[in-house]
Amino acid sequence: MNNLDSLPKKKILSLFMTCGFPTLNQSKKVFNEMLSHQPDIIEFGLPFSDPMADGPIIQEANKLALRSKLSTQQSLNLIKEFNKSKNNTSFVIMCYLNTVRKFGLNKFIKNIKSIVDGIIIVDLPFEEEDAIKRSLSKNNIHLIKLISPMTDKKRSQKLLKNSKGFIYYISATGITGSNKLDYKEINKNVKSIKKMSSVPVLVGFGIKSKKDVIDISKKTNADGVIIGSALIQKYFDIKMDFNKYLKSLKKFIQEVKI
Amino acid sequence: MKKYKQPSTIGRFGEFGGMYVSETLMPLLLNLDKSYKKIQKDKKFKKELNDLFKNYVGRPSSLHYAKNLSKYINGPKVYFKRDELNHTGAHKINNCLGQILLAKKMGKTRIIAETGAGQHGVATATVCALFGLPCYIYMGSKDIERQKPNVFRMKLLGATIIPVESGSKSLKDAMNEALRDWIKNVRDTFYIIGSTAGPHPYPKMVRDFQSVIGKEAREQILKVEKKLPDYLIACVGGGSNAMGLFYPFLNDKNVKIIGVEAAGKGAKTEETAATMTSGTPGILHGSYSYVLQDNDGQIKEAHSISAGLDYPGVGPEHSYLKDIKRVKYFGITDKEALEAFQICSKLEGIIPALEPSHALAYLIKAFKNKQKNKVVILNLCGRGDKDLFTAAKAIGFDADE
Repeated sequence: MNNLDSLPKKKILSLFMTCGFPTLNQSKKVFNEMLSHQPDIIEFGLPFSDPMADGPIIQEANKLALRSKLSTQQSLNLIKEFNKSKNNTSFVIMCYLNTVRKFGLNKFIKNIKSIVDGIIIVDLPFEEEDAIKRSLSKNNIHLIKLISPMTDKKRSQKLLKNSKGFIYYISATGITGSNKLDYKEINKNVKSIKKMSSVPVLVGFGIKSKKDVIDISKKTNADGVIIGSALIQKYFDIKMDFNKYLKSLKKFIQEVKI
Repeated sequence: MKKYKQPSTIGRFGEFGGMYVSETLMPLLLNLDKSYKKIQKDKKFKKELNDLFKNYVGRPSSLHYAKNLSKYINGPKVYFKRDELNHTGAHKINNCLGQILLAKKMGKTRIIAETGAGQHGVATATVCALFGLPCYIYMGSKDIERQKPNVFRMKLLGATIIPVESGSKSLKDAMNEALRDWIKNVRDTFYIIGSTAGPHPYPKMVRDFQSVIGKEAREQILKVEKKLPDYLIACVGGGSNAMGLFYPFLNDKNVKIIGVEAAGKGAKTEETAATMTSGTPGILHGSYSYVLQDNDGQIKEAHSISAGLDYPGVGPEHSYLKDIKRVKYFGITDKEALEAFQICSKLEGIIPALEPSHALAYLIKAFKNKQKNKVVILNLCGRGDKDLFTAAKAIGFDADE
C-alpha cells in the first residue's frame, strides 16, 4: 500500500530534511522529532557532494552529513529504522541521479521498495526517466514530478501524464531557500497544472514561515507546501547547539501545521 | 570506418552526455538547443563570427614549426597550433564570441560564466565589454588566489567577480554556483560555459565553436607538409581546446590522436585531475561522463598545478572517444608539466600556459628519440603569463636573488 495515494485533500504539509545532518546519530533525533508531529509527508534527502539544484543552506547540510563519509546504505538504513508502515506519514526520498546510478538502480529500488512511497530525483528530467520510471512503478514507488514556472503548457502536459503521488511545483524561479514568492504567478500556474492532473499540487522552494504557509493556502489553489531549507536554517540560527535546535524545530513545525 | 556523427539529437555521444538538470533548467536548455540549431543555418551569424575571428581575435592563428624543440626531442617534426596568440591569450575567446552572438540573438541581457584558470573568465569579460553586456564571473577563491593577473584583467574589463567558497573552491564549485545563478535568473541570463562539459547542447556547441582550431590546422598542415599529420596532441581538462583541434580530424583514421590529462601528483594518488585515467562514468554538472568519484558517487576534489585542468569531470565527447578508442588519453604530473614549461620557454622562446605544458611534457616523454619522419601538431592553447607566479613558486625561483 502506498501512503501517497491517501493524502488529504488540502493543507498538505511536507517536510524535507537531509539524512545524516548534522551527524548520523543526531539525524535520528531530528527525524524522530519531525515524525512526532505527523506531517503528511517527510522527504529524506540523500546527501550529495554537488547538489547544484539546491541552495547554500541545503548544500551546507549535505557537507556536514558527508563529513563522516556517510554512505548511501547508511542513509537508507536510517530511513528504514523509521518503518513507514507504522505511520500514516508518507515517506519520500529526494536525491540526485548519480547517487542512484552508483548504488545500482536495481539494488537501489530493492532497498527502498518497502521503506518509501515515492522518490524525487532532482536532476532526472522527463527526457531521461523512462527506464527508471518503469522499474519504480513495478515496485509501487511513485516518481514525483517537478514543474517549474519555466515549464510551458505543452511540456507540462507531457510531464504530468499518469502522474502519481503529488506534483512538486517549484514556486520561485529559484533554487531551494530563495526568498521571493509571487502568489499571483503561483496561483496561475497551479491552476493550470490542476487542469492537467488530479494528484495534489504542493508548492516548494522559498517557504519559510507560518505566514508563507497560510498565504499559499489562502491566496493560491495549491494543496499544500514543502518546507526544507527553513528547517535546516534553524540549526545555523541557533549556532549549532543541537539540543536547542531540536526545541526550535519543534516550535517551528507546530507553527507551520495549519 | 563509418563517418563520425555525434552527438545524437538528444545530446548523446554514445551513452555519454545528455541533459541531467532540474526542471527549472530543462526548458531553458531545450530553448537554447533550438536557438543554436537555428543560428547554425544563419549565414549572417556565420559572417559576423568569422569577421570577429579575423579582425578581433587575429585568426587564423599560425602553425609554427618548433624546430628547436623537434631537434631536442630527436623524433617527429613538431608544429604548434598557436592559439595562445589569440586576443586574450588562449583559445577560450573562440567559443565566447560564438556564445555571446547567440545570447544577443536570443535577447538575453545578462551574462554569467565560471572560470578556473581565469582564461575563460577573461574571454567572457572581453566579449561582454565588446557587446556592452553586464558580466558576472564565478571563480573559486583558491583560483582567485593563484590567478591574480587574470582577476585584475577581468575587473579592468568591467566584470564582477563572485568568489566561490564552497567545496574545493575551484572550477567545479564555480560551475555549481554559476548553475545556481542561472536557475535564479533564468529569464534574462545567458550562461556562457567555457568547456565541452555541462548538459547538452553545451558540449556540442563549444566543440563546434572551437573546431575553427582544427579546421585551420588541417588547411595549414596540408599546405606546408602536403599531408595530414601523423599525430595530434592536446591537453584535456574539460576538453574544449582538444575537441576544437581533434574534431575536424576524427574521420581521418591515419591521424592518431592523444589527449593529455593532468595527473597532479600522480594518476594513482588522491591528488589528481586525470579523470579518464583514474575516474569512472558518473553524472556531474548535467552530463554523463567520466568523473572522479568515490563508491557512493560523491564527487572527489581534483588536484592540478594548472587551474585550467583542475576539474574532476571531462566533456562527454572525450569519454566517448576514449571508449571507442579513437583517442588515447594519458596523464602527466605537475612536475613533468613544469619541466616542459621551462624547456619550451628556453628552446622556442614561447612561454606556454601550464595547461598545454602537460601536452608538451607528454610529447617530450613519449616521442624522445622515436617516431622520426612523423609530423605532430600540438595545440598550444594558452600563453603562460597568467602562470608566472605559480610556476616561479613551484620551481623555487626568487625574483630578489
